[in-house]
Amino acid sequence: MNQPSTVTATVRISATPAEVFPYLVDASLLARWMGSEVDVRPEPGGVFAMNVGAAIRGTYLAVEPPRRVVFTWGLPGNDALPPGASTVEILLTADGEETVVNLVHHDLPADLRADHLAGWTSLLDRLRGAALSLPDRRG
Amino acid sequence: MKESAVAERPAGPDIVLRAIADPSRRRILRLVRGQSLPAGEVARHFEMTQQAVSQHLKVLQRAGLLTEQRQGARRLYALRPEPLDQVRAVLDDLWPDALARLKDVVEHDLNRNQQEHR
Repeated sequence: MNQPSTVTATVRISATPAEVFPYLVDASLLARWMGSEVDVRPEPGGVFAMNVGAAIRGTYLAVEPPRRVVFTWGLPGNDALPPGASTVEILLTADGEETVVNLVHHDLPADLRADHLAGWTSLLDRLRGAALSLPDRRG
Repeated sequence: MKESAVAERPAGPDIVLRAIADPSRRRILRLVRGQSLPAGEVARHFEMTQQAVSQHLKVLQRAGLLTEQRQGARRLYALRPEPLDQVRAVLDDLWPDALARLKDVVEHDLNRNQQEHR
């Protein structure tokens, strides 16, 4: 029950991978869908930081335009999910005139152990708030 | 020994979140994680009145986070972790929601560029 788990998500976008890729590495573009206060240096070892309701801090592990981005994902000061604890991989695959975006978030804690309740509660509360406070997507 | 989960129907994530938002209640959950304890034994770990502890136990039970076992005249409380899975589900929604926004933003930008170039 305490095995790390994986979250996956997929979306199809009417665009080429080359058109989608900048939205994974450019701070002003990331700020329009992933979080605010974006601070990124898209190269292996470069910082990946933003606020998704909670402050997320990580490092780019791979930046391979226009197909693949990998970065670590964690919360400073959070014992449930500290920086470096989990990894997000995003793959862009051309399919006709569309791009399939496959996202895999590895090594998330599988359950909310009682030890980590405080960290999870504050994180989840903030994430819920954040969903409402992101900038207008049409902006 | 009789066992009963008092919550008749599954509590929603908001009820679970509210239940675990209180530090005293989180401490109670930690206390009864590995062992079943009677309310009096739980209360001995706190400075608050036994009545206040009972109130916290009630909130946790309503969220489905505690099981209650009867042992003679005593009631023993133990952690029931299943409702925490719902809280985890909130985290699971993070990326699908984000990717939906990504799709909207990219397609919106491309449409606008095409219109400008016409």
